[in-house]
Amino acid sequence: MTRETLAQSFKQALVIVFFGIALALVANASSQEGIILSHDFFSVAGVTGSEGSGNPETGSEGSDSGLEVGIDDPAVDPEPFDGIQRATIEDAEVYFEGSLEDSSMVFVDARRRSDYEEGHIPGAIWLYHYQSERLFDEVREDLEQAFIIVVYCNGGDCEDSINLASDLSSLYGLPPENIFVYEGGLSEWQEAGLPVQVGGER
Amino acid sequence: MAGGRTARSGWGRAIMAEGPTPPSAKGSNPIARLDATGIPMLVARLVLGFVFLSYGLEKVQDPVAFLKVLKTYDLLPLQPPELINSIAVSLPWIELLIGIAFLSGAGLRGAATAATGMLLVFTPAVLRLGISLIGSKPEFVGLCDVVADCGCGSGPLPICEKLVSNLGLLALSAWAFFSPSERFRGFVLKKDSTSENRTAGNPEEGH
Repeated sequence: MTRETLAQSFKQALVIVFFGIALALVANASSQEGIILSHDFFSVAGVTGSEGSGNPETGSEGSDSGLEVGIDDPAVDPEPFDGIQRATIEDAEVYFEGSLEDSSMVFVDARRRSDYEEGHIPGAIWLYHYQSERLFDEVREDLEQAFIIVVYCNGGDCEDSINLASDLSSLYGLPPENIFVYEGGLSEWQEAGLPVQVGGER
Repeated sequence: MAGGRTARSGWGRAIMAEGPTPPSAKGSNPIARLDATGIPMLVARLVLGFVFLSYGLEKVQDPVAFLKVLKTYDLLPLQPPELINSIAVSLPWIELLIGIAFLSGAGLRGAATAATGMLLVFTPAVLRLGISLIGSKPEFVGLCDVVADCGCGSGPLPICEKLVSNLGLLALSAWAFFSPSERFRGFVLKKDSTSENRTAGNPEEGH
């Protein structure tokens, strides 16, 4: 392999990389589904991550000793360290009853459109976390009227509801005391046999 | 056949650099003979081409899913957000182009370089992700029990399997990079860029 061949290979690789980046930026900017590059989608996840690593109990991650002990602790810890209020399924049911009566209580579905159409909590507003900047203006009025806003996603590992809840107050100026995250999410809601609306209708 | 002879002499040269192999023994090197058939090159191009193309296509359609996966790797800083967001958006397109280059043969060595580079970054990252997930669920006892979405475009996969297949891809892309075989190189941007015997000393460059 000569030096020229090597140099040419690296040059070709760079062309592929730069062409790829250029195509990606154009496609992302022109697509309805594109993501806004300057948006921090993990505003809370970053916070919990750093606090978690500072916690001596979770420090044993990855090492063989103490696996049984430390792992579940952060998950069952009832104190959220991110300053965002949580709603249990019981709370969510109460708020749901309230949301049926007037517009002072409202649910926000942070998942993608197809998930929303497959089934959502009846009356929930669709506000996909990764396109919230584009979608927010359409739902601003509904959210500003409400004094209880319950954000949810699928449940389980999904963090989109927490990050969206944080954005609702920090980016979109809604009062943080109105905002709750229902961490059980749609999976818990469905398992409990609570009503689900299918299709694009609220 | 001219192609075959050039190919053998390419590997032969590498052998000669390591030891005093007499020039007459060139053709007896089994690796060189295998390479001269062009079959390994064809296999490498097809496998790498389809793998990279499918990884890329899947992710191009859903950059958000890939962004979330990138975050679970915990390799990139989340601030400024432009960094991780741009990488999530760009990598799939780069993979797509690498796949096209492998399949078409245009920019083959460049694709092999980029593919090798990506695999060299991501394989240890997958290993690291797998190790970090050991014990995170009761069934994740050892590395080979861990099932995770590595962002390879196919959803959650057993990490061990993924590591083995990545090593295979790495071997194929190294072969595609070093092989002097002239057979099955596909469409070539510049004829003299394929054969180092002829390009050697040629100051003209591709692109």
